[in-house]
Amino acid sequence: MDSKEITLLKKALARQVKARKQAERILEEKSKELYDVTLHLKEANNKLEETLTEKSTQLDGVFVNLIDPYVVMDLTGNVIKMNSSAKEFLQADNTKEKLNLGRFIHKNYIDYTHTSFKALIEVGIVKNYRAKLVITKGVEKYVEINASLIYDNNQKPIGAQGVIRDINQETEIKKLLSEQRKQLDIIVQNSPLAIVLVQNRDIIKVNNSFIRLLGYSESELKNIKIDTIAKPEDPKQRESLFNQLEKGDIDNFTITYKYIKKAGGHILGKTAISAVRNQNGSIDYKVGLIEDITKTIEAEKQLVDSKNRLTKLIANLHTGILVEDENRKITLTNEMFHDLFDVKINKEGLKGYDCVVAIEKIKHLFKNPEREIKRIEEVTKNKNLVLADEIEMIDGRIIERDYIPIFNSNVYAGHLWTYNDVTIARNYKINLESEKEKYSSIIANMNLGLIEIDNNQIIQLVNQSFCKISGYSEEELIGKKATDVIQVINKDLLENKIASRRTGKSDSYEIDIKHIDGTVKHWLVSAAPKHDVTGKVIGSIGIHFDITEQKTLENQKETLLKELEQSNKGLQEYAHIVSHDLKSPLRSINALCSWLNEDYKDVLDDPGKYNLNMMQEKVEAMDSLIDGILKYSTINSENIVNTSVDVNEVIKEITDIIFIPDHVEIVVTNKLPTICADRTKIHQLIQNFLSNAVVHIEREKGLVEIGCIETPTHWEFSVKDNGVGIPKEYHEKIFKIFQSVGNKERSTGIGLSIVKKIIDLYEGKVWLESEIGVGTTFFFSLKK
Amino acid sequence: MKGVVFTEFLEMVESKFGLEVVDTIIENSNLASEGIYTSVGTYDFNEMISLITNLSDEVKAPMGDLIYTFGLYLFNGLGTSHPEVIENYTNPINLLYAIEDHIHVHVKKLYPDAELPTFKILDKTETSLSMIYSSSRGLYRLAHGLIEKTFEHFNGEATISYELLKEDGTEVKFDIVQHG
Repeated sequence: MDSKEITLLKKALARQVKARKQAERILEEKSKELYDVTLHLKEANNKLEETLTEKSTQLDGVFVNLIDPYVVMDLTGNVIKMNSSAKEFLQADNTKEKLNLGRFIHKNYIDYTHTSFKALIEVGIVKNYRAKLVITKGVEKYVEINASLIYDNNQKPIGAQGVIRDINQETEIKKLLSEQRKQLDIIVQNSPLAIVLVQNRDIIKVNNSFIRLLGYSESELKNIKIDTIAKPEDPKQRESLFNQLEKGDIDNFTITYKYIKKAGGHILGKTAISAVRNQNGSIDYKVGLIEDITKTIEAEKQLVDSKNRLTKLIANLHTGILVEDENRKITLTNEMFHDLFDVKINKEGLKGYDCVVAIEKIKHLFKNPEREIKRIEEVTKNKNLVLADEIEMIDGRIIERDYIPIFNSNVYAGHLWTYNDVTIARNYKINLESEKEKYSSIIANMNLGLIEIDNNQIIQLVNQSFCKISGYSEEELIGKKATDVIQVINKDLLENKIASRRTGKSDSYEIDIKHIDGTVKHWLVSAAPKHDVTGKVIGSIGIHFDITEQKTLENQKETLLKELEQSNKGLQEYAHIVSHDLKSPLRSINALCSWLNEDYKDVLDDPGKYNLNMMQEKVEAMDSLIDGILKYSTINSENIVNTSVDVNEVIKEITDIIFIPDHVEIVVTNKLPTICADRTKIHQLIQNFLSNAVVHIEREKGLVEIGCIETPTHWEFSVKDNGVGIPKEYHEKIFKIFQSVGNKERSTGIGLSIVKKIIDLYEGKVWLESEIGVGTTFFFSLKK
Repeated sequence: MKGVVFTEFLEMVESKFGLEVVDTIIENSNLASEGIYTSVGTYDFNEMISLITNLSDEVKAPMGDLIYTFGLYLFNGLGTSHPEVIENYTNPINLLYAIEDHIHVHVKKLYPDAELPTFKILDKTETSLSMIYSSSRGLYRLAHGLIEKTFEHFNGEATISYELLKEDGTEVKFDIVQHG
């Protein structure tokens, strides 16, 4: 063994020795601990024994001092020991007399007492022995006795001890209880809730409300299983709850049943079911309290319906809806809202979405995102009603937005935004304004004076032209009464017109105005009543046109016409007078010539007689001339009397009166029509043609032919002769007055001008065809 | 930590590596107890850590393996001291199953201040056992060695696999399947 090993071993040994000592010390400490514990236990034991002894002594005393009567007897019923309560209760004392308990037993309870006593001997104990005791004559008491046997040291029974409980009070309580039960029954019977007591499936008892509710009589119900008239609304739920009830997890629950009525139909009953358990915890009965909730359910259904309708309404509203809660989380949106802001997330998905986040996602839709976001922050901060905010969208739409805060019992609970696309309305408004501007400028610049007055004739509006024609400035007119400023000469007419305008009539009339410069002006007025939106007349609008110049011209024309008429009349009278006055000297000359011829025919030579004859002829020619002038001047439209005229008759009349040379024959080639014209004029007309025709025939056999053809508008007559003919250059001239072809004495040169004048009256024409030496045909047409 | 663990540990070191190593690791560990241990005493757990660390340095073996080896050794030590405990069981699975509810209860009777690991049984059949070791000491490899040795003691064989539920080894799940 080398020294190193020895050193190691020594060290190890030293450690082992120290370890042993350490172990010994630990063990000594443990021994000491054990000793102390043992000592302590002994003391505790002693104390316990003492306590036990004391308790036993006290216990002995307890019986004596027991409040309930306590009696110890031998096996024959003789009392060995009794406490003071027993003495008092039984009104007897075993120390004073020999006392056997048998004497107290009421005769009805003797058999029962024997049986109980026997049981006591056999089992060693008897519980709840109940009997009536006769304490003294007339004093009877109900008691309950719990008794046990007393054994000697050899376990042989030597007696029994018992505690007597006076149960008279209990009996009374029972009586009370039964009374209370009766009261309870009354309550149950009259409860407005239907109550049913069920055992298994049999209906044991129901109250009046139940009978009333379902219509079955009590006896009918006795034969009905509950599940044939009560069907659970939710069979699964019923199953689960009944299982829990059976297991004892729960004692009651509430569930809805459908109850079938006897008369048919059913009601919905909210039913509270409670289990009535026995001591073992299993269910003896189930009690059901039924509340008729048919109406409640119906009301709830209606509420849900109306809520659905409302939801649908909101969904289909033409206004975008956004409802936020107090934390600006979305609670409701509708279709229109999604359309307006192009929201892709569906309505359900949007619920609970933070609007502060949402606005960032759609802000690019706004024309001015910063301003809109700022506005929203401002509005939601203030929580005041904001109406008709306008949002301009980047695509040109204009959206009108309302902010409506929602307060629930004065507590802010969120808010409602509504959105309307007012782009069209807005554009419409702009269009309307531009139209208005257009018409305003037309009104301002038109040549017609426009004035608008209210019902009190106060001037509301005038245009430039009105100012111009009235001579007043706009300031002088507006706000004044129209008739105060404008001096109307024919005021009565104006008042009438204004009054009739009140009844809604519009018309045109002329008024005369005394102009600011003193001259009289004539205005043509077109006026119409002005209505408000409800159709009520609130004034009138008049358009004025200054017709003074036209009026002046018209007046001049009228004057001229009158003058012309007078001068024409004068002229006619003049022609009459002149021809008449001219005729009478002619007649005198003619008479003088005749007298000269008569008186001096013998004196006068032939040239003298010839000249006198010539003189007479010239006077006659002059007479004819004057006649012609007279006729010509009397032809005018005023004295025409149109009648039905048979031209054939007229021809006959003419051929009877005019001079027809013997060698001339007048022939009517076809039957002439009957026309509507002035008979005299037609006579004059045709006589002129015929006279001309017969006169100018120099042949041996003269022929004048009269014919007529009908055109759609006119009668076209022709008068043909085989006379000398008319040279071409006279064809125009002959229709002018005092022109005549040839130098026949009888031709005055007036005839054809009269013809022309008459044909003009009948809107006809006259023309001729002629060949020198062959003849002439005159044509003339008369309007039908 | 109970003194018996220290005395058994030093015994193992002596028997496996010789007295010199025992001396060296005691000297190097700078222990409050100066390496003097009795099985009835109780000592600071850190002393055990120091001893194992120094042993690991000294013999150039991983600590885990050393602890496992100690577990194998400790079973015999404990079995020799308290043979009646092992005699109560007829097979290794039942013994392991009873550690928590039976063996540890007896330990507590003798050493009320003992701080014992807990074994929570997850699953047990005739031939398999699944349980969770949990101890603030984190000496699951010690448990591993003890379990291994248990089967050896009953001439059985088992596959013992473990899984660290916590990285520091304070909670480890053992799955033991016996075969033969």
